[in-house]
Amino acid sequence: MVHIFNFENYNYIYDSGSGSLHECDKDTADYLKAKYECGAMPALSAEKIAEIEADISALKDKGLLFADEVKTAPMKPKDAKALCLHICHDCNLRCRYCFADEGAYHSEREFMSLETAKTAIDFLLKNSGNRKVLEVDFFGGEPLMCLDTVKKTVAYAKAEAAKLGKKFLFTTTTNALLLDDDAIEFFNTEMENVVLSLDGRKEVHDAIRKTRNGKGSFDLVIENIKKFVRSRGDKHYYVRGTFTSKNLDFSKDVIFLADNGFDSISMEPVVTDIADLQISDEHLGTVCTEYETLCNQYLERHKAGKGFNFFHFNIDLEGGTCLQKRVSACGAGNEYFSVVPNGDLYPCHQFAGDKNFLMGNVKDGIIRGDIREKFASNSLFTREECDGCFAKFICSGGCSANNYNFMGDMNKPYPVTCAMMKKRIECGMHALARKKDGKN
Amino acid sequence: MIKTISTPREKKVTGCGECRSTCQSACKTSCTVGNQSCERITREENPEKINRK
Repeated sequence: MVHIFNFENYNYIYDSGSGSLHECDKDTADYLKAKYECGAMPALSAEKIAEIEADISALKDKGLLFADEVKTAPMKPKDAKALCLHICHDCNLRCRYCFADEGAYHSEREFMSLETAKTAIDFLLKNSGNRKVLEVDFFGGEPLMCLDTVKKTVAYAKAEAAKLGKKFLFTTTTNALLLDDDAIEFFNTEMENVVLSLDGRKEVHDAIRKTRNGKGSFDLVIENIKKFVRSRGDKHYYVRGTFTSKNLDFSKDVIFLADNGFDSISMEPVVTDIADLQISDEHLGTVCTEYETLCNQYLERHKAGKGFNFFHFNIDLEGGTCLQKRVSACGAGNEYFSVVPNGDLYPCHQFAGDKNFLMGNVKDGIIRGDIREKFASNSLFTREECDGCFAKFICSGGCSANNYNFMGDMNKPYPVTCAMMKKRIECGMHALARKKDGKN
Repeated sequence: MIKTISTPREKKVTGCGECRSTCQSACKTSCTVGNQSCERITREENPEKINRK
């Protein structure tokens, strides 16, 4: 299918079958919309129509327009590749929007023992088949509350992987409250990626991300994060914020982060059912306009030589992604699992603690093969609503947990998330086009 | 006039380039765990060979 859209005065055609992005003039866009979508047919000369049809025909012949879409089911990898290791279910912050019940996951606050962490590593190695590179994300709660266990787990994983000719890549997601020199040195030595939570402007951050005594945490983390980023060199990191209905002007928060020297930024819409924070239908117009504002500023910064990487505007249409990934997304519950402190396995961190999704434990392995099969079978082709969507091969059908939490069905995409996703993709495509020809 | 901005260099059944752009979900770590794995593994496991299978 083709998707015809405009960003201000620029008109684009995205062909989902071939994954190609084209730019066209307004007459061509209006003509295509009228012919293939809906809308009034513009008054065009016969010569203009012939020119448009000739362009369409040429692109069709090259397989770059109205190309057939893939309809085949994905392969189902049987080997595990990654663990989200909940090294502790406790946190030193009490963020209102936390999906994890402020770190406790609706259960007792507890820490993973080193023995359980080692068993989790053994589980991953044992179930990784021929995969050479495996990944562990240290997650919480707040992983820096048990840095010693993290360090020992990393050392153990590296040693065990080496015996098998494998390699681990580690990531940590942290609120940076305990990010001292020791932790920074360790992260820079061992972590492939570090995700640091910071919501942007002080007042925005402090309104949600509070300490246990109810005070804002901005002043306690900002210098730690700056120091870490200065020391990071060219290694990966993301300063990751969350926006809620309280800061729908979130482009200001992204720019604030960029102004503070962070050049790798992500800003996610909150996932919550808290009424005064959640993003709902009524906010979508404002959110989409805000993404456009952000995209323009993103391009201005890029043009001025002060560009930054914004996660959601990264659209790689040339390198593309493999078919398996395009139709099956993150691999949760099949290639990737969450391990909670007692060693129980869940499809991902979003399902942690929900006994309906308890898959087994790291000692005994996967006991509920039916759950794994269900997740392995999830794909674009089991999500009927995705069939007519231009974005499907880019968003991969969205997040199963998000769908389940909001719609009660992993295969029913949540329309609010879809709307934001589609807008971000359009912005990403516009950014790609403008950066490519330098016309921004 | 229609001008092509971008098109995939090669269609692959498996073996990808930059997966971080695909999973843009609202969840917290699928972007840092799931996608990163795919990217690294396929890069190191010779995608061409896998595609021939």
